[in-house]
Amino acid sequence: SNWLRQRLCFRSHAHWNAAQRYDVIVVGGGHAGTEAAAAAARMGAETLLVTQKIQTIGALSCNPSLGGVGKGHLVREVDALDGLCGRAGDWAGIHFSILNRRKGPAVWGPRAQLDRQRYREFIQGELLSIKRLTVLEGSVEDLLVTEPNPDEPGSHRVTGICLGMLASSVVLTTGTFLSGSLFVGQTTSPGGRIGDAPSSAGLSRTLKETLGLRVGRLRTGTPPRIVKESVDFSLANVHLPDRHPTPFSFMNTHTRCKPEEQLPCHLTYTTPGVERVVQESLHLNCHIQQDTKGPRYCPSIESRVLRFPGRRHLVWLEPEGLTSDLLYPQGLSMTMPPEVQLRLIREIPALRRAEIHAPGYGVQYDFVCPTQLSSALQVKSTQGLFLAGQINGTTGYEEAAAQGLWAGVNAARQAHSMPPVSLSRTESYIGVLIDDLVSRGVTEPYRMFTSRAEFRTTLRPDNADLRLTPKGYELGCVSSSRYQEATRVQNSLQEAMTALQALTLSTNSCREKLPDIRVSETKSTVLTGMELLQYKELSFEMLASVFPERLSPYLEFSQRLKIEAVYKPHCDINKKEIERIQREENMFLPPDIDYFSLPVSLSNEAREILDRVRPTTLGAATRLEGITPAAVVNLYNYVHFAKKKGTASKKKKKTF
Amino acid sequence: MLPLLCICREIRKIAVHTHRKSGLPALYQLASTFSGAPAGLADADTIFALSSGHGKCGVAVVRISGPASSMALRCMAGLRRHLPSPRTALLRSITDPSSKEILDRGLVLWFPGPHSFTGEDSVEFHIHGGPAVITAVLQALGSMPGMRPAEAGEFTRRAFQAGKLGLTEVEGLGDLIHAETEAQRRQALRQMSGDLQRLYQDWSHRLKRCLAHVEAFIDFSEDELIEDGVLERVDSSVVSLQAEIERHLKDERRGERLRSGVHVVIAGATNAGKSSLLNTLCQRPAAIVSSIAGTTRDVVETVLDIGGFPVLLSDTAGLRDSTDLIEQEGVRRARERVQQADLTLVVVDSVLLPCEVQKAADILQENLTSVLPDLKQTNKDRCLLVLNKTDLLPEAHRRELERELNEVSGLPPVCLLSCQTHEGLQDFLSVFHSRLKILCGDPLSGAPTLTQARHRAHLQQCVVALAQYQKLRDTDLALAADGVRLALTSLGRITGKLGAEEILDIIFKDFCIGK
Repeated sequence: SNWLRQRLCFRSHAHWNAAQRYDVIVVGGGHAGTEAAAAAARMGAETLLVTQKIQTIGALSCNPSLGGVGKGHLVREVDALDGLCGRAGDWAGIHFSILNRRKGPAVWGPRAQLDRQRYREFIQGELLSIKRLTVLEGSVEDLLVTEPNPDEPGSHRVTGICLGMLASSVVLTTGTFLSGSLFVGQTTSPGGRIGDAPSSAGLSRTLKETLGLRVGRLRTGTPPRIVKESVDFSLANVHLPDRHPTPFSFMNTHTRCKPEEQLPCHLTYTTPGVERVVQESLHLNCHIQQDTKGPRYCPSIESRVLRFPGRRHLVWLEPEGLTSDLLYPQGLSMTMPPEVQLRLIREIPALRRAEIHAPGYGVQYDFVCPTQLSSALQVKSTQGLFLAGQINGTTGYEEAAAQGLWAGVNAARQAHSMPPVSLSRTESYIGVLIDDLVSRGVTEPYRMFTSRAEFRTTLRPDNADLRLTPKGYELGCVSSSRYQEATRVQNSLQEAMTALQALTLSTNSCREKLPDIRVSETKSTVLTGMELLQYKELSFEMLASVFPERLSPYLEFSQRLKIEAVYKPHCDINKKEIERIQREENMFLPPDIDYFSLPVSLSNEAREILDRVRPTTLGAATRLEGITPAAVVNLYNYVHFAKKKGTASKKKKKTF
Repeated sequence: MLPLLCICREIRKIAVHTHRKSGLPALYQLASTFSGAPAGLADADTIFALSSGHGKCGVAVVRISGPASSMALRCMAGLRRHLPSPRTALLRSITDPSSKEILDRGLVLWFPGPHSFTGEDSVEFHIHGGPAVITAVLQALGSMPGMRPAEAGEFTRRAFQAGKLGLTEVEGLGDLIHAETEAQRRQALRQMSGDLQRLYQDWSHRLKRCLAHVEAFIDFSEDELIEDGVLERVDSSVVSLQAEIERHLKDERRGERLRSGVHVVIAGATNAGKSSLLNTLCQRPAAIVSSIAGTTRDVVETVLDIGGFPVLLSDTAGLRDSTDLIEQEGVRRARERVQQADLTLVVVDSVLLPCEVQKAADILQENLTSVLPDLKQTNKDRCLLVLNKTDLLPEAHRRELERELNEVSGLPPVCLLSCQTHEGLQDFLSVFHSRLKILCGDPLSGAPTLTQARHRAHLQQCVVALAQYQKLRDTDLALAADGVRLALTSLGRITGKLGAEEILDIIFKDFCIGK
């Protein structure tokens, strides 16, 4: 990272003399911060990224992997909007597999084990190549806060950071560093990651006291790293990667790692001995005794044992890199004293002689209750401040990257005096993620699952480019080369589907030409190509061999066409519901609405919830907990009525 | 997540329904005029209304709900010092608060919130049912500050908003308020007390569990320990749920029929005495009767209460080939009515029947075929044969027919009666009543029946969606899971309660996810 140092030196000289002005300043260099800075710069904003240590930009603080079910969807969408993490994954991946291969393409989970070194290299290299982006090493002591602009809602205005830097928008992506503390055994020390100090107390104080933001506390943890050569792999089950790695990025046709260079993972299990060690060491374990909420789906080995005693749990042994000597034991996150950690892992047969390179530890940190944000990830009560990543109560690289990108887009728009934009939950997982955060809030670290998306069959990993790239290009965060590629794909798919629709085959000639598929007798005597592709046994290639002149131009899209054909009837059904929700999402609730004096029939409880959350649209209000259907109906009437009359106040409720 | 516009529509429908059915009693309208406050402004208002029927009854109930309820009770029942003990009837003189004039003497009840029907402070006055008394009490209430007459369904809506009622219960309640007959009231009561709600809630719980397990399998089974057989258990749950809902749907609209009335049509040849039967049943000359064939040319409708069951009785034009255009239209309408009928009373002039039983039976069969051309053995219980004018038959002949005809196989039940002398009417009514009972089901026994066409539509959707799961389970689990989601949404539209987070809660309760 020599280049960064050079830039850093240059900036260090300059900024003490006169205040530097940027369009966007991003604080934090993790997955959210890098995507935010890159997106803002792509949007044309003069952008500054400030981070404590330049060398940790793009570091994978926890597991060396990217994607999975739900998370892989996010990576594909970030990539479709020209973000970094998909291409970084293709560059750094050393073990690619698509999860859920047998459960239907809508829930396929592209996933890869990563080489930590390569991932960091790629992210740092990308940031260097982006125009209008400057990176600075330093600790942000505080935010610059001034009087608000009277024309906009918000009681304060953030104008920069206390390093003498001014900006129209500031994006905070401090991860686990906000009032972070680390836990190992009975010792606690301040920090956001082992070896790194927490963010400054001044920043926490400003958020809480000056800006009056509600914060909560969450915890997470990471497992000990294990010396690879001390592990007996013959006692674990080997898990091989896919023979043909599938890239994350729509722009890549292959991954950097060659298929045969990929490394395996290993699977092993906990034993009753593990449970015993946990039970015996509970009194030595501060972290586990705290009642701060940790993730239910990424629990430490301690909480797994306590919640589901008497079971064996999975432990995945994952490689940390092509040349790394270390292994990452997924599922063994723990916070007991280091000597107990060693005792514990040695209760597992494959690890009976294992050595620990670095012990596991727990982190507790502040997060800002995300219901205080708009769907542009901007703090509603403050002008010019955006938040993304773990500071909003999420967990995971992919969730952070997705928010970072979207906050970066909106921070740049705000700097250019353009209105905020949001993604609907009907068109993307990013939309689901942000809508869940800002309209429901979090009670535990939030992770993406496919079950959170209502329109899962429409929001597939295969079509993220069709869903998002044109929109991203319109906004300015997608390069023209990517846009051209997406357009080419879209046009080809469209043409191919028209050809498939026009192509017909009688059931008799079906039996003759495609003997492998069993066409049911009851079906109408003539089937179109689209209908034929809905048969499980028939691939596009098989159909193309029957109609080579008409279909062979589209062989490049065989898999996508097969998926489109199978899902089309279901997506058509979804369409109506999607339109309905989009209508509700387009019914805006005025931001300055006084719910306590609103002249409609609402219970006090509903008024309090609405006042606290201040949903921006009626759609968001319907999803609030504690808002009854009746309350929604009344609000609907109010909005409807207010819209018709043009003014919201002094209106009598329309009765029903 | 609830489909907002859908709810709006449903609730509007309930309101409109209540409004229309109540026919807005005159007193209510009177009460609306003397309140300054616009209707429905805020919950801070205290509302009142006549909650009992139209004033014909001996006792009328006036209900008050809202923060000023206790004030109204103190002022009007002369309880200056302290309120009566909650939920206990107290006999008091009811006075006008300004003129101090005694309006009536009746029972007062005090229901402090939240343990009241609306969740707010509530009061009931049980007063004498005369219109003058009721008007006076309502006027007195309206003259007090902060009080206004309730809108149609507003008590229910407040209860709904206070979380006291689910959507099904609100619908049941709307029916209770307007139950026109005893059996309707029983069913509405049963629905409101939550039998149906419990049934749907149970299905909804089971479906939620199914969905949670499918979702867990999709989101976690690749690198988590989701035990074997999860999907197989879901499969069998789905199958049994589908069967149960289908069985529930196969009640042949009994609940709906009870709610909206059984459609009974009187049909037959001209001059058989169809209109006389209608007049006899409704105990008034609702239709014109004469000895001229073809007197009735259009459909004459009347609403009856037969032993507690609501009946929409239609008298139709006699069936014959006519050259008269108007009569032709009447016959067409008659046939249309018969097609839509739940029960057809085929009226035959008994004088035209020969003495020999088999020949008589043949003639009856001809009559049946002419009225109901597609009558089959299976839908024989959808009609009754009424042999009219028995007063004109020789006694012996009448007895013979009565004895023999019900023995002839292939004929629906045969009733002999005279609309002139009412002979045989009691027997006919008891046969008629037992038929209605079969058609509507006994609301107090067996599984709760469907009362709303809306419920039926959602349940049908639910069944279709579950079939989608079964069809796609092996080819594409994401699409199959969509079927379960859809099924759950459909049920949620009835019970009015559905939460997405709940699915994840079940997942994390049932499985140790340790990713």
